[in-house]
Amino acid sequence: MQRVPRETNVRLAVDLGGLAMRNPVTTASGTFGAGREYHDFVDVAALGAVTTKGVSLHGWEGNASPRIAEVPSGMLNSIGLQNPGVDHLKAHELPWLAEVGATAVVNVSGHSFDEYVAVIEALEEAPVAAYEVNISCPNVDAGGMTMGCHVPSVEKVVGMCRAATARPLIVKLTPNVTDVAEIARAAEAAGADAVSLINTLLGMAVDARRRRPQLARVVGGLSGPAVKPVALRMVWQVARAVRVPVLGMGGISCGLDAVEFMLAGATAVAVGTANFANPHATVDVIDGIIDYCEEQGVADVNELIGALEC
Amino acid sequence: MNHLVNEHAPLLVNEELGRGIWLMTVEAPAIAAGARPGQFVHVRIPGMDDHILRRPLGIYAADAAAGTVDMMYQVLGFGTSRMTELAPGAAAVELIGPVGRGWQPPEDARRALLVAGGVGSAPLHPLACELAAAGADVTAVLGAGTAEALVARERFCAALGREPLCSTDDGTYGRAGFCTPLVAEALEEAAAEGRPFDYVACCGPEPLMRLVAGLAAEARVFCEVSLERRMACGVGACLSCVVDTVDGKRRACVDGPVFPAEEVVW
Ligand SMILES: Cc1cc2nc3c(=O)[nH]c(=O)nc-3n(C[C@H](O)[C@H](O)[C@H](O)COP(=O)(O)OP(=O)(O)OC[C@H]3O[C@@H](n4cnc5c(N)ncnc54)[C@H](O)[C@@H]3O)c2cc1C
Ligand SMILES: Cc1cc2nc3c(=O)[nH]c(=O)nc-3n(C[C@H](O)[C@H](O)[C@H](O)COP(=O)(O)O)c2cc1C
Ligand code: FES
Repeated sequence: MQRVPRETNVRLAVDLGGLAMRNPVTTASGTFGAGREYHDFVDVAALGAVTTKGVSLHGWEGNASPRIAEVPSGMLNSIGLQNPGVDHLKAHELPWLAEVGATAVVNVSGHSFDEYVAVIEALEEAPVAAYEVNISCPNVDAGGMTMGCHVPSVEKVVGMCRAATARPLIVKLTPNVTDVAEIARAAEAAGADAVSLINTLLGMAVDARRRRPQLARVVGGLSGPAVKPVALRMVWQVARAVRVPVLGMGGISCGLDAVEFMLAGATAVAVGTANFANPHATVDVIDGIIDYCEEQGVADVNELIGALEC
Repeated sequence: MNHLVNEHAPLLVNEELGRGIWLMTVEAPAIAAGARPGQFVHVRIPGMDDHILRRPLGIYAADAAAGTVDMMYQVLGFGTSRMTELAPGAAAVELIGPVGRGWQPPEDARRALLVAGGVGSAPLHPLACELAAAGADVTAVLGAGTAEALVARERFCAALGREPLCSTDDGTYGRAGFCTPLVAEALEEAAAEGRPFDYVACCGPEPLMRLVAGLAAEARVFCEVSLERRMACGVGACLSCVVDTVDGKRRACVDGPVFPAEEVVW
């Protein structure tokens, strides 16, 4: 059954660095396809936005199988940004999202600085509400996370993307760094309108009996409830370090999880791995935020942002 | 287009059939009504605590009139062990389904050979029923480790009105050893009779499927296989489950699990 969030008088709209969201919930890139795969379960137009799977210029094959492993309270993935390329997204997925009335955020990836820019340029005429620049994927050898770990390369790639578009630019950060606040400040200084975090934490799983790694690529990214405390801590640190809004994610599976991220400083949140167990998770999270606000007498969800009392 | 539902499915039956292989029957009318042979359900098992993923299981039977779905599962790890503890009448699972591209035999298939290794018999059973009902001449080959694990034999008998060809690794029932010699002989005999098979369907361990695909190719018979991959979403969104094919990487959950064998890069 296709679900929509329940009716409420609570004001849910938020502004994520120029991206107008009807409620603070989007999808975590790579966990929701381009929305169509979940449309039997949730009306994707009722979400704050749909963030699509990372897209590169000409598409990538991705990594060998097995690509996932279940680990305590989470999972590892090493998909490796498999995607059919930006032209396919433009021809098939974005028109569909526009037709159903969804707000589309495109997650952009590249193997080089120029590739990020080329992807954005290819999308400038397409129905896209914002870009999320992924400088944090742990599953590719070039680009991705290597770009998001050093201040100079963060400044360079964000600066180049900034010059390529006037649309809201969200920069997605990796947790696999010593000082995430420093990276966030570099992204802000180079022109990011918002930052999103966390991407997955680099991890590994071993099959002792077979003496083999569980993933073909040996290492992969950890996501799900297991990463939530790390994600909350980083959102809190980053929200205090930058003036631009923060899109928080990492292990969110219910409304209260989302509220925790907002109290820690997030303006909006993304639901990722939770969709796999519960295909209605996005709407359940929105309903849970509404429940919390009604119960606590919160008239506008913006009152929650950074309202943590320490 | 195939529409998916997420159905709360109370347990009606949950019993061991033999050697760690169990039958679970649940009430899931929407999935039962829509299911095609070869499709599967993505199962959320209650009380899994810190095990966050669903488990994919083939549809062993879908009874649209009764509104029930049968799954046959082999106890392997945490999830399938947990399933054995669920009590009919009290517990329920949650199913996403019916998922995937099922078997697509040639429309005019007259003579079909279905080859099952172990619990691979589950998704082949509805196909056997459908082909038999359409008047095709269906031969089933079932392979298992031991006699007690040949749990689908009676259902295939009932569906086809005759004994399936059986093999067990330990020789406790039917031919001793793997089932591939039975497959090779069946293909040869049919050709010798001048009534060759026009369809082979296989589900089981990957080495078996590769061998059967090879035998079918030699005999020039169209063959489909049902592939297993680790799955997270089960709906085509996450790209966890990809299979190497001649058209590049494709998703086992929604582009499969059944693929024409000639498209698979083994
Ligand atoms: C399309 C499809 C249909 C299937 N149909 C059947 C069936 O009808 N009967 C049956 O007994 N089994 C079937 N399987 C295999 C079944 O999904 C696994 O045996 C089961 O997931 C094991 O779960 P576990 O928690 O007991 O094992 P664990 O080892 O604890 O599982 C850990 C993780 O690995 C995954 N996993 C482990 N083994 C497999 C496997 N062989 N294939 C895919 N994922 C695996 C689990 O889903 C889980 O995510 C099917 C698999 C697929 C992909
Ligand atoms: C299967 C899978 C694929 C992912 N693909 C991408 C991707 O393409 N681009 C990206 O920026 N993040 C990707 N991620 C990371 C998620 O968007 C998110 O940052 C992370 O999983 C943490 O959130 P969660 O715990 O709610 O899943 C992926 C995560 C998973 C589990
Ligand atoms: S399991 Fe997610 S795409 Fe197949």
